[in-house]
Parts: sequence; structure tokens; C-alpha cells
Amino acid sequence: MSGKERLSPEAQGYLDGEPAGDIGPEDRQAADQFEQAVQAYAGRLQTPDASVDRAVMAAVRAEARGPRRQSVWQWLVSPHPYSVRPALVAAAAVALIVLGRLLIDIPGIEFGDRPAQLAPEAQATILVRFELRAPDADRVTLAGSFNEWSPEGVELVRNSATGMWTATVPLEPGQHEYLFVIDGSQWIPDPNAHAQVDDGFGQANSVIVVGPRGVVRS
Amino acid sequence: MRHSFLVIGLVAAGGMLASPGAAAAQDVRAQLLERGAPAEFADQVAAIVANAGAEQLPTEPLVSKALEGWAKRARVPQGRVITALNQYVVRLQTGRDIAVAAGLDPVPGPVVAAAAEAVGRGMTGEQVEEVMGSASEPQAAATGLTVASALMAQGLEAEAAIRVVGDAFRRGRAPEEVLEFPSALTGLQAQGEDMAQIARRIMQGGGLPSPTAPGMGGRGNRPQTVPGISGEGQKKKKGASGGQ
Repeated sequence: MSGKERLSPEAQGYLDGEPAGDIGPEDRQAADQFEQAVQAYAGRLQTPDASVDRAVMAAVRAEARGPRRQSVWQWLVSPHPYSVRPALVAAAAVALIVLGRLLIDIPGIEFGDRPAQLAPEAQATILVRFELRAPDADRVTLAGSFNEWSPEGVELVRNSATGMWTATVPLEPGQHEYLFVIDGSQWIPDPNAHAQVDDGFGQANSVIVVGPRGVVRS
Repeated sequence: MRHSFLVIGLVAAGGMLASPGAAAAQDVRAQLLERGAPAEFADQVAAIVANAGAEQLPTEPLVSKALEGWAKRARVPQGRVITALNQYVVRLQTGRDIAVAAGLDPVPGPVVAAAAEAVGRGMTGEQVEEVMGSASEPQAAATGLTVASALMAQGLEAEAAIRVVGDAFRRGRAPEEVLEFPSALTGLQAQGEDMAQIARRIMQGGGLPSPTAPGMGGRGNRPQTVPGISGEGQKKKKGASGGQ
């Protein structure tokens, strides 16, 4: 019987031990041949030697004792499977951020970005008045180091009678660079500033130095 | 569990190495993109800031300068901004080297920034060291350098600017008092004195008067009172008097 031939349901029932009353001679012959083939195959199978059992069990016991002791170098260069709990990694990330901020605030460790600390009296915000005579302007704003150079940051108020634009801005003591922005496009220095300095781009910025008592300008 | 701690340790070490220059770089990149800057420009700026942070240079002045450059984009090309930032980094390196030579270690960021600014306005390394040497602490050194630089920008010669700041510190004046000097100089000019006279007075040990002394001050330049906001300056100016 080839592999592609199938036994009839009657022959299969016969092989399963059902009564052979309804089975035809052809089906019975096929069933008998199949049974003989199976028995012949089973007869060729060999039971493994007992040494195989011993070898397998020895390997299992060795595995149970764990790997052999490795050197540090072997441990470093060999691959390691890891299982990590996502919640633990997220917690570690948060702890890292907190740790980083703490380190930045520890005295003696300098990361270089903290502004100079003045005495409490000097840290008080000082109100500084800015003014510009621009009678033809429709809009005047103030952009500087104190508002991240946003041209929309501080809007000056116009006095129609005098053509003077003014704004009073709270500033921390220290040096500030700035410019007036007329009608959103024209950047001009403050003629009353303490000084005009190179802005690094080939133009000039106005400078004032705010002390704890305010600013005196020309 | 042991492996989990190992991973956490490695992540923590990586994070520490990445801070704070990387954080400042990400911040300025985000700010530039938010303001409409092209990604390529923002990336270039972020790289400069990150490298400066990795060198332990202060990143805040660079971030401010980058935002300034972008704000002035109508008349400042992006390439010019990048060039200016790279030049700024060199000045910061110079400022840090001078501070280290002056004996500061570690060097606070504001001192590096103030030294870089002083160098940018023409002060020599020796002059920067002289101002640092007259200050009792790093924070005072930063303020002294800022004020000396401002006085020079106002037209006072470097020697006189350094002298007046150094003398003030040696006499025990607080850094916040030294911040009054640019206003005092303006006040003297408003009284009709020229820079040569003022410099001569300083070099003779005369110092600068308080900007709130009688007769000092120009027009419309005092701190103004705004309803609902109290300014320390207004409360003090009438009672304060005298020079150094």
C-alpha cells in the first residue's frame, strides 16, 4: 500500500477492533497488510542503551548546578539575556532626572549655567522705564535678553501729544541688552542706554546695567 | 533583579553624561522650532550648545544669542548666527582659561560668561585676572567684570574701569553696589564732566559717587512706580547718598 492510498472506513474500523462482519475481502486484505507493515516497522525499532540515559541525566544535573565560574572579562564580553520591568525603568528615569537636578544644586559642583547670585536686596526686581520718541511709528515693542528677544514681549504705550512711547519693565539687577522694534520690523537702539555694544552679528545692542536703586540714563 | 539594577545603573550613567548640555541643546532647539526656525538651523545651534555644555562651558549665553539671532533674522542670515555662536564659544573658552589661570576651580558659569564678555569688549587676559583678583568671591568677580565691561563700553578707558571696580571691592563694597557705577558714570556726564576728567578722578582714588547723590542723574530715567508693583529701587533712592 502506498502512502497516498487510504484505508476505507470499514477497514479502519476493523483495525480498531470492530466486528469484521460488514467488511469486504479487499478491505480486509488491505487492513491486514497495513497491520503487518506496522508490526514489521515496530520490530525494527531498538531500545536506547542505558548509557544514553546516564549521559542525559548527567547533563541535566550539571545544568541545575549553574554555569561554571567565569572571569570578569568573560562576563563582560559574553551576551546576557535581561528581563526588565518597564515600571522599574520608568521609575529609574524619574530618579535619574531628580538626581541630575540635585547634583546641579549641590554646592561645589558647577554645571555652568546658573546665573550669578546677588544678595537678597539686590535680587529684588527693579522697575525700569524705557522711552523712545517715535511720532511716526504705529507700534513700538521692546526685545532683549530679559524676554528672550521676543519682539512681541513688551509693548510700549504711545503719548499722542508728544510722540513718546514708554514702558515700565520689572528687571533683575544686572546687565541687560535690548533694542526697540518699530512696527515689527525696524530694530533700533535706545539713545538713552548706558552704552551701545557689538551684538556679534555686525549690528549694535543697547546696554543698561540695573543696580539695586534703579537706572540713571542720559 | 540583579540585572535590572545593572540596566538602571547604565541608564543613570548615560543620563548623567548627557546632562546638562544636552538638555540645553534640546531646549534651544525646541524654542527655535517653536519660533519657526528651520530644523537644519535649529540642529546646528543645538549641536553648538551641546558641545559647549560637554566642555562645561555656560550654555545660557549661547542660547540667548541664538534666540537673538533668530529674532533678528530679517537682517541677520542664519549662517551669520552660526558663525557668531562659534565665535562666542571661543570667547567662553578663553574666559574659562583665564579664570582657571586666576585660580578658580571649578569656574562658575557666570564668571566664564562675564570674562568672555570682558574679552569681547577689549579687556586683556591680565586685566580680567586683575578684576577677578580684587573680588572676594566668584560671584563678585562676575559682577565686577560685567560692570568694568559696561564702563568701558560707556567710554571709560580700561585702566580706569578696572581701577574703580577693584578699589570698590578692596574697600569692602558689595557687588550690588558696584552695579550702580554705570548709572553713576552717566550721572557725572549729565553734570557736564567728560570721560577724561572722570578717569583722572578715578585714578587719583576718587571713585564714583552714588547715582542717587544730589545733582546726579539725567532726565526721566529713575525707576518708576507702577500701581500694584513695588520696586525696591524707589524706596531706597531718596534715603541713599554718598560716594564710596
